[in-house]
Order: sequence, then structure tokens, then C-alpha cells
Amino acid sequence: MKKASIYQYIFAIILVLFFLGPVIYIISSSFKTNNELFSAMPTFFPRSFTLKNYLEAIQRDEYYIFRYIANSFIVAVSSTFLAIVINTMAGYALAKFKFKGATFIMMVILSTIMLPLEVIMVPIFSVLRTLGMYNSLLALIIPAAATPTGIFLMRQYLVTIPDDLLESARIDGASEWKIFTRIVVPNAKPAIATLAIFSFMWRWNDYIWPLIAISDKTKYTLQLAIANMTGEFGTDYSSILATSAISMIPMLIVFLVFQKQFIQGTVNSGMKG
Amino acid sequence: MENKQQSLKAYKMKQKLIPYLFLAPNLLIFSIFIILPAIIGLYYSFTNVDLLHMDEFSFIGLQNYIRLLSDKEFLAALWNTIKLVVVTVPIIFVSAMAVAMLIIQPLRAKGFFRATYYWPVMISAIVVGIIWNWILGGQFSLFNTLITQLGFARSDTFNNPNFAWWSIVLAIVWSRTGYYMIIFMAALLSIPESLYEAADMDGASKTQKFMFITYPSLRAARLMVFILVTMEVFKTYPIVVRLTGGGPMNTTTYTVQYIYETAFTNQYAVGYASAMSMILLLFVTVLTAFNFFLNKGGTD
Repeated sequence: MKKASIYQYIFAIILVLFFLGPVIYIISSSFKTNNELFSAMPTFFPRSFTLKNYLEAIQRDEYYIFRYIANSFIVAVSSTFLAIVINTMAGYALAKFKFKGATFIMMVILSTIMLPLEVIMVPIFSVLRTLGMYNSLLALIIPAAATPTGIFLMRQYLVTIPDDLLESARIDGASEWKIFTRIVVPNAKPAIATLAIFSFMWRWNDYIWPLIAISDKTKYTLQLAIANMTGEFGTDYSSILATSAISMIPMLIVFLVFQKQFIQGTVNSGMKG
Repeated sequence: MENKQQSLKAYKMKQKLIPYLFLAPNLLIFSIFIILPAIIGLYYSFTNVDLLHMDEFSFIGLQNYIRLLSDKEFLAALWNTIKLVVVTVPIIFVSAMAVAMLIIQPLRAKGFFRATYYWPVMISAIVVGIIWNWILGGQFSLFNTLITQLGFARSDTFNNPNFAWWSIVLAIVWSRTGYYMIIFMAALLSIPESLYEAADMDGASKTQKFMFITYPSLRAARLMVFILVTMEVFKTYPIVVRLTGGGPMNTTTYTVQYIYETAFTNQYAVGYASAMSMILLLFVTVLTAFNFFLNKGGTD
């Protein structure tokens, strides 16, 4: 086995500083006092550690940080659950059945990967309004669940389930729904895990959907709240930094636990929400 | 006998329905929230519908599109977006490939390096904007402190159009390189070792190995990365929100932001904004197709 050269290590460490440095800097800044935040000689780490920024973010007027966190969680978790159910079902149909229109449906789905949400955000607004979903968390949960990449991922994976397994269950008289829940779903676990963590990340970090669908402050997600946060005198950095740091925590946990699935998911398809 | 055949027929009919039932929930949501809006959007683009009176509007033919051709602000935003794509896509492309080539070397703690480079991918575009705004912007930012150490004067960074523009590029590259690194990494790992061994026996140099083995082997990954990055950069907006807000003087306002503001905050001109969306879609599609054919053209 060849060994890596010292130059490669130096390069690798410089890249660590580039990619990790900014994140650590913003987190360490969130623990700085106001004096330090706006000092002419900022240090990388706080000289005197304080939780004041976090307390302020919690106590701010007209800023319901726990509500935003709860909204983000409700949206991310329920949309992910829905995405798993409907995309696994659709992926199964496309992978294991021959039927009229299958190719057409697959082509329509794949071509909408090329149709960015940003292009249809204006008419989506009027659809949501007509359906009475404007200003409701449902508008963040339901539409985003039917993601073309989700179907594609599930289909690619479910193709590998042996037909014999399904056929023998049919001969034994199992209903199609039972075959789906007892055989297909357990066999699709790795793909479901990938879809779940990506879906959670997309919804947790999403900005465009909440921007179109929500105007009521109490319905804001964390991202929308951070994006719209203004202070009395220009930008209120202390609360923004604290809230940003808070918003990264769930992703950090998900990433540390599911790192392998993220890497694998990216490899599989270039997962795009 | 008759009965059996009938029940077999009924069973077959039912079996035929099954895949449609499995697809139904997805297709329903998909049709209502993607297909329908796409059609409505196309329709709106030929009308004068506005946000405050969405139920009464009239068909105005191509007027929106004609108006677009002389709308300096829109053309500026579109041109700005094209410039951003032209500059950012190659940077991400090259850096992702380079980092991927580094990460497949026999480094110790490879997993740590890989995870670190990937981590910014997990951060929301809004927070990425905040991070770089905090580092680069303002009189007392880390950046301004560092340049005073080098003997330069503090500057009001985000009032400088060039500085603001390149900050966006930096933030995009920082947050997305890790993602495309993984795609290249997987492709690099799938190149058979025997190709390199054969090249070694023929005495090929490192450059030759890259030119004649590595680069050609990455064709599929290159195409995929090119298309995905192009689409992504064309949609740039959330990262701008907290980084520059589109300023100074609209120098970092890109198409999506301009469309959003035209429809929802400035003119409430939904029909007009829909026409802009169609132009954006046209660009994305044409560029994707162009990338596709360009890469197809090089088949062996």
C-alpha cells in the first residue's frame, strides 16, 4: 500500500480549516458578549464566555423561537414520513409492475427534476390559496413529500427485490397491501433510511417553500424566522448568531449518526430536493 | 368452470389496477403541486394577473414577453445570473474533482477529512449566508481585522459591488463543493486499478495518467455534476438573503430574487413574473441540453 505524501496532508488540513473554520467561528461568536462581537480586534474564540445571546433570542419580543423550532420539527418529521410512504409505494409500482403508461409516468417524473420549484413558485402560491392551504403548515408538509428524486431512488432500489419472493407470496394468497408492508418495505430499509435523512435535511433547511406559503409569524419555520429577523437598529447579530447555531444542532446530530447514508445517498443519485 | 374463469378474469382486472393504486397518492400530489402550477404559470405569463386581484385578469398575448425585452432591471438580473453560472460552475467543478482526488489517497483519518468537507452541505443556505456575512461584512468582521494586519485599511466590504459579488461565489463554492466531491469520489473509486498498472508499465507520467485514464473515465460523473451545478446556481437566491440581500445596488440580485420581488413584494405583477419564470426555465433547459450534448459528443 502506498502512503500519502506530506504535501497531501498539508493540503488536507488546509481544507479542514477552510470548510470547518467558518462554522466553528460562528458558533464561538454566538457565545461572545456584545463588546466582543463588535470589537475592533475580534478573536476567534470568546475571551469571556456568555449565554446572553441565547437568552436574548428566547426573550425577544415578537420572536417565538420555541414555536419556530416546533414548526420546523413538525414539518420535517411529518413531511419525511409522508415522503417515505408515498414514494416507496410509487417506486414499488414502477419497479415491479408492468402497466400501461409506466414509461410515460417515469418520463414525466424525471423531467420535472429539471423543473425547479423556483420557476413555479408564483402559480404554486395561487394553488395553495385556492385550496385554503396558504398560511398552513400543511402547505410545507404535503406538496414537498412527492419528490421526483424520492421516487427515482426507491424505484432503483426496489428493482433489486427478487420477483420470486413476491410471486410466492401471491400464490400463498397474500393481499397486495400485505405484500407491500410485509415484504417490500422491510427489504427497502436502506433506501428508506437514505430518503428519510435527505428528506429531513431538505425540509429542515428549506427556505423557498415557507417563503411562498407562510406569512403568519406564528407559522414561521426556523429558517424563515432567521431570514426575516431584523433588529431595531439594523441587523441584530447577537440573536441571529444564537438562532443560527441552534438551527444547526439537529443537522449535526443527524449527520454524525447517519454519515454513511448521506455519503451513499449522494453517490447513488445526486439527491436533489 | 365458467365461474372459475370469471373469477380469474376479475383477479386479472384487479391486478391491473394495483400499480395505479400504489402510484395514486404520489401522482395526486405531484399533479396538484407541480404539473398544475407549471401549466398555470405558462398561462399566467400571457395575462396581466396581479397579486391583489387574482380572480380578475385578462389575456394580453405576448405583451409580458415583449416588455421583458426592454426591462433593464430584469435583463441585468438575468445577465448577472448567467455570469454567476459561468464563473461558479467551473470553480465548483474543478475544486470538487481536485478534493475528490485528494480524498481517495491513502490518508490516515480519511473519514474525518471526508466528513469535514461534506459538513457545509448540511447547513441551510440562509445560515451559510449568515456565516459568510459575519466573517466578511462589517467594519469589525474577521476579514477586516485580517486585512488591517496586512496593512490595508478597513473597508465597508458589502458596499463594494465586486466584493459582494465574489462573496456570493465563495459562499456557494464553500457550501456545495463537498457534495460534488462525493460524486467524483465514487466515480474515481470505480476506475479499475489495472488501467493505472498498465500505464505504469508503459512508463506514463502522472499528467498522462490523468489525461488518458482518470479524466475520460469520469465522463458520466462530469456530466451529472455539470448539470446539477448549473441548475443549482441558476436558482441562486436563499444564500443571498442574509449575505448581501441582493445589494449593493442590485449587483447581487439574481433572477429568482427578481421574480419573487416582482410577484410578491414590489409590483405584485404575477403575470409578468410568470413570464420571467418561463425565460428562466428556458435557460435552465437549454443549458442542460447543451451540457448533455457536449458530453455526448465526446463518446468513444
